[in-house]
Amino acid sequence: MAAWERVVIAVSMVVFVALLALAFTVGALGYRAPPPTLRDLAEVYLRTTFNSDNPLFSAMAPEAVTAIVWDYRGLDTLFETAVFFLAIIASVALMRGVSLPRKEVGPAAGMSPIVKTVTKITIGMILAVAASIAFHGHLTPGGGFQGGATAAVAPLIALVVFSVYFLEHAGVTKNRMLGLRSAGLLGVGLTAFLVLAASIVSGVQAYVLQNQPKPTAPIGMPSIVDGAIFGGTLLLFNIFEALAVAAGFTLVFLLLAIPEEEALKVTTGGEHAH
Amino acid sequence: MIAPQTLVFGILALLGLLSMIATYLAITERDLVKAVVFSAIQSTAYAFMYYLLMAPDIVLVYVPVAVGLYPAVVLFLIKKTERYEGE
Repeated sequence: MAAWERVVIAVSMVVFVALLALAFTVGALGYRAPPPTLRDLAEVYLRTTFNSDNPLFSAMAPEAVTAIVWDYRGLDTLFETAVFFLAIIASVALMRGVSLPRKEVGPAAGMSPIVKTVTKITIGMILAVAASIAFHGHLTPGGGFQGGATAAVAPLIALVVFSVYFLEHAGVTKNRMLGLRSAGLLGVGLTAFLVLAASIVSGVQAYVLQNQPKPTAPIGMPSIVDGAIFGGTLLLFNIFEALAVAAGFTLVFLLLAIPEEEALKVTTGGEHAH
Repeated sequence: MIAPQTLVFGILALLGLLSMIATYLAITERDLVKAVVFSAIQSTAYAFMYYLLMAPDIVLVYVPVAVGLYPAVVLFLIKKTERYEGE
């Protein structure tokens, strides 16, 4: 890269940031950011997210972000999840017919024994942190997607340190991950209809994606079980979403780890070409 | 004695500067593996900034995705294509 190109890149970056800062200072983006009307909205959520004095309008979960994601704005999240999983389905469709060649690997495959031992310990720690983020998502910052993304780092590290053949041998296969991902998505879908199904049995009105009882729909998930805050559908959504996200990311990495020659064999010609 | 708010804004400014430098290096670096590392440094600075801006939910999704999964995807792609950017 020529010296003048570097200068152009550096100057344009500095000018962009300086102009943005200047615009903000002179008030072109509004003097008070966020605007006061947004603060009223935040106040509504903070007042209703966990309010046992007003249970008919409360989500009964102390974590306002998770409550907004899965309760107040549940339908938005459902479609965001659909976008993510359509992308994964597209990558699976792109790599159809491509499979990992059969190869026996001995204990010498992958990196050195020191790296492997450390990795065995850290994988357990990563999964513990992921479980804590996902299953406490209705109480502390975090949730299904965050927990699932953290859990997906564990098979990724195993992939790099132990080799993809070891992972395949250990049972982390493409079809199993596809099955786990589908089970997670099915769980998310069923949880959305859980209260509705209960209302059909008991004969009262209810809505899709309902969590707590509402004024016109007096049925809902339990919010406190045995003295512990349960979060109703939030906990179930978080568990299934974490499962689906972790399996989905692992699936993509398993596909990416297939040697390029195998993929080219299928995509460029030969008897399995399409 | 520095006021806590000034301290937070000062650290935010330093992290912003660090992310700018890392972004410049990631753009101009011809070795794509090094460029991914610079990009991860920029992401780390952003993760700290989100934490200081009191958005822990974003931090928790930003750390595994931007520091773990995204560099891994790009490294896989570099392995499948070319490591050095052409003229």
